[in-house]
Amino acid sequence: MKNKSIKTLKFLGLGFIEPLIRLISGEEPKKNTQLFIKKSLLPLSSIFLFVLIWHLGSAALYNSEAEVRIEKARSEQGEAAAIAMAECIASGDVSCQPNTLPSPTKVWGAFQALLDDHNTISQKKSDFKDKVAATNAQREAQGLDPITYTGRPSFVDQIGTSLKTVAAGCLLAMLIAVPIGIIIGLSESLRTSFNWLIQIFKPVSPVVWLLLVFMVVKTLITDPSLDKSFIISFISVGLCAMWATLVNTSMGVSTVDKDYINVARVLKLNVGQNIFKIILPASFPLIFTGLRITVSVAWMVLIAIELLAQSPGLGSFVWEEFQNGANDSNAKIIVAMFVIGAIGFMLDRIMLSVQNVMTFNKAAA
Amino acid sequence: MKIFKSTIVLILLTVIWSACSGTKAKNKETTVTSASSALLIEKPQLTFGFIKLTDMAPLAIAKELGYFEDEGLFVTIEAQSNWKNVLDRVIDGQLDGSHMLAGQPIAAGAGFGRQAELVTPFSMDLNGNGITVSNEVWSKMKPNVPLDAEGKTIHPIKADALLPVVTEFKNSGRPFKMGMVFPVSTHNYEIRYWLAAAGIHPGMYTAGNIQGQVDADVLLSVTPPPQMPATLEAGTIYGYCVGEPWNQQAVFKGIGVPVVTNYDIWKNNPEKVFVMTKKFVEENPNTAVAVTKALIRAAKWLDEPGNRPEAVGILSMPEYVGADSVVIANSMTGTFEFEKGDKRSMPDFNVFYRYNATFPFYSDGIWFLTQMRRWGQIPESKPAEWYHSTIKEIYRPDIWSSAADMLVKEGKIPKEDMPETDGYKSPTADFIDGTQYDGKDPIGYINSFKIGNKDEAL
Amino acid sequence: MALLELNNISKSFGVGSTRNEVLSDINLSVEEGEFVAIVGFSGSGKSTLINLINGLLFPDEGEVLLNGKKIVGPGPDRGVIFQNYSLLPWLSVYSNVKLAVDEVFSHLTRKEKEEHIRKYIDMVNLTPAIDKKPDELSGGMRQRVSVARALAMNPEILLMDEPLSALDALTRGSLQEEIIKIWSQDKKTAILITNDVDEGIIMADRIIPLTPGPRATLGPEFKVPFARPRDVTEMNRDYTYKRLRNNILEYLMDVGASRKQVSDQKYILPDIKPVMPGRIIFGKKRKEEAVKYF
Repeated sequence: MKNKSIKTLKFLGLGFIEPLIRLISGEEPKKNTQLFIKKSLLPLSSIFLFVLIWHLGSAALYNSEAEVRIEKARSEQGEAAAIAMAECIASGDVSCQPNTLPSPTKVWGAFQALLDDHNTISQKKSDFKDKVAATNAQREAQGLDPITYTGRPSFVDQIGTSLKTVAAGCLLAMLIAVPIGIIIGLSESLRTSFNWLIQIFKPVSPVVWLLLVFMVVKTLITDPSLDKSFIISFISVGLCAMWATLVNTSMGVSTVDKDYINVARVLKLNVGQNIFKIILPASFPLIFTGLRITVSVAWMVLIAIELLAQSPGLGSFVWEEFQNGANDSNAKIIVAMFVIGAIGFMLDRIMLSVQNVMTFNKAAA
Repeated sequence: MKIFKSTIVLILLTVIWSACSGTKAKNKETTVTSASSALLIEKPQLTFGFIKLTDMAPLAIAKELGYFEDEGLFVTIEAQSNWKNVLDRVIDGQLDGSHMLAGQPIAAGAGFGRQAELVTPFSMDLNGNGITVSNEVWSKMKPNVPLDAEGKTIHPIKADALLPVVTEFKNSGRPFKMGMVFPVSTHNYEIRYWLAAAGIHPGMYTAGNIQGQVDADVLLSVTPPPQMPATLEAGTIYGYCVGEPWNQQAVFKGIGVPVVTNYDIWKNNPEKVFVMTKKFVEENPNTAVAVTKALIRAAKWLDEPGNRPEAVGILSMPEYVGADSVVIANSMTGTFEFEKGDKRSMPDFNVFYRYNATFPFYSDGIWFLTQMRRWGQIPESKPAEWYHSTIKEIYRPDIWSSAADMLVKEGKIPKEDMPETDGYKSPTADFIDGTQYDGKDPIGYINSFKIGNKDEAL
Repeated sequence: MALLELNNISKSFGVGSTRNEVLSDINLSVEEGEFVAIVGFSGSGKSTLINLINGLLFPDEGEVLLNGKKIVGPGPDRGVIFQNYSLLPWLSVYSNVKLAVDEVFSHLTRKEKEEHIRKYIDMVNLTPAIDKKPDELSGGMRQRVSVARALAMNPEILLMDEPLSALDALTRGSLQEEIIKIWSQDKKTAILITNDVDEGIIMADRIIPLTPGPRATLGPEFKVPFARPRDVTEMNRDYTYKRLRNNILEYLMDVGASRKQVSDQKYILPDIKPVMPGRIIFGKKRKEEAVKYF
């Protein structure tokens, strides 16, 4: 039971909990206490330190901006205005709050506000569903699409949309990069001929990819019922992120162990069998390393792309909050930043676990 | 391992499929009879766009107060990033309709920028813009502004006060840059009008130079509205002309001072319009009328005394304008703050319904055409008849009237709220420089300006 | 007619100053059902020789004939047991063998194939480990999988390229016996390449020394006069065994000593660069490692 749960945790990328479990079950207390401190407490304390520095920094920024405001009121409107300004700031009135880096407490508050908001919106959604239930039943009878919720998506919904975009983008990247990588990996001349092209396209910025994709998609897709902004954003994400997989696949394929190739030759496998039975499995470790990079790049460029493509998701959330410029907007942006970081971390862990399952131990060949 | 592999592929495929199909559900023609009217709605599920500005209020109100749903419309309202994007997405059919600059459908019809057949059945508001300059420019400008007995600046402030500052910048070799939101926006024409009235040349558009900076004393460039304060703060521009809340935002953040509102530049000028494509209106005539009905009701509600604070609350929701409610309230509740602390009463700064604000007057549209010709966005001269026929393709009072008719019958608006008009307002001289404008004589109007293109009367 | 014939084979690698003549003037003929061992020092070109037979390499001069036909490439009619097992690490024991069986016996039904595969895995006593991956097996077990894979193809000739050299002495001894036992069941023609003279004597009918390279060639053959089945302990006590062993060793030593005096060959050390994990080196592969399929 214990070992099984440890195995599961390791598979989930949560191996750092292992010493704690062993400790609780009373196994080698000294060693596991040390391991627990090293693997869990140290990272936690570094996070704590970070929050502390952040707190001090934002307090300093807040004070200096408040100072500037009071000074400005004094120099422009006299002493009375300065005192009024100081009182106004102290009272926490939004109309005169210094607009600067929000403190950790503010960000935590914004996080909770976003969660509450999500609950409110979920409620609204179900209300809406009840309201249009009759209409939708009627529409269904007529063979028409049902009326869907028309309100604003919540923060949580937007995370979902972003994940969808990334998943679609990565799948696209995989479908393009792996086959091309295999083809150019198999032939040195193809590899040399594509090398320049790859090197030129690899560093192209997400914004430019977006514009390129936009030009093409705009012309190709004229059907207004398709969600163009989603199509544009997931294709751009895919194109930005596919290079790591492409290069790693071609590298993996071109460096397949000669022994395996000899086996294939002795068995007289045809090209297809050779690729699917020998070359592809043998290159899995490198392909997966590439896919891992692809996923993290995809998640990284997603924000910029969503922001420009007007595709709903975390990117447009950040952008809208920046545009809103409200008192709590900065805090919400920072919440989004942490959520983005945490999800990126989780995605990487998941990819790592998948990689561990899918690949073999090369040393044992 | 194999099973695992195929599971992953399956999951990813499902995700993509659902992502794609989820979006497909949006658009499909249908017939739903609305609850309160006899209109047969062709397309009940609609998506409208807007830019984060307080004058999008009729859309937010129609949705939040359920006016759209009263008409059997289920409307999603999406914030857009900039005006070009709005135009593109309406033309491409990703948006069924949108909050737009009054100049945009006209320019699309007149052939400046992207061409398309767009129609306007509903004018969203009057006034609502302001010109803000940076603290540095204001400190240099202020000595040139006349003061009243109490030592307060006398409004309206003319650009004459700015002229010495522009000259000073010019002499020291610094180009004087100001921001406006879009080449065909009301703001562009207003800031040009204000500058040119004081003899400051804002630059011409030519066929070869579409930057609009030929011969310019002041270089005007495009900045999306929500970025105006940040751009001003960064020092990229020294002033801007933009809608609310971005002038009040500058006062709040202490980065600039609004000097004039467009109410003073041209009293009760049309600002934003609601735009759909001609194709959409032809294919869904009842839907277009129903949308117009809901918007007229929303505009009426907005101009009823006492409703503004509630409107401010709705607009400050993050999905609409999203700025702090104090900022929005400053311009929506009948006051306007110029210098910090200099709050003045401006009851007509934001008009949504009074003065027949929602009616799409041909004469208002023609004013934009005359300004496009004046500044060279329309490069060659056109006969007067062209102005009238062009605007009649775009402004659609007929849709407005059938919507208003139904509202009168339903008892939602009084009969006298429908103007008796041929679509042209009577001649007016309510401009900052007192020039007379008659919509029926566009050529004569163009020729009455000192700065700008002149046309032969044909 | 001999089953396998090598006529005046020579083979060299490289050009110009780096040209390395590995094999020269090799003549060999192997009869059906014969077990031939080719014994030589490390680096003498034994692997090159076996690769010429299995078709992974082609001779510069001369010809390799199997059943009187020239060899044009590798094929399942020659089962190869590689020195480093060459098992596919991502496949189980069963699947490794299946890969070969699927290829050679594509006409069989699924069930027949499965029986066939299980038969050979059972033959090498790996049935308990049938679902294990190579990295869960010991070296000896891995080589037995390799043997099962080669035999399961039912080849005309079995080529063994130092199959036991990576194993410890004990495993080696038991595997030698096992291979002989399996071989004796259907007496397939077999060529064993080894650097261990004893191994050759225990297993083969005929031993042919390969002189040390460069320009290695085959020496005079030594017949192994022991009847099968052979008893290793008994053989060890036999005077004939010791004399045969000494003769072969002496021959190899003598040729080796005379070679050393005349050889001014410089041995080129392999150019090995450490590869950082995760670092991408693109288009810089060493040419001889490149894989070409198109």
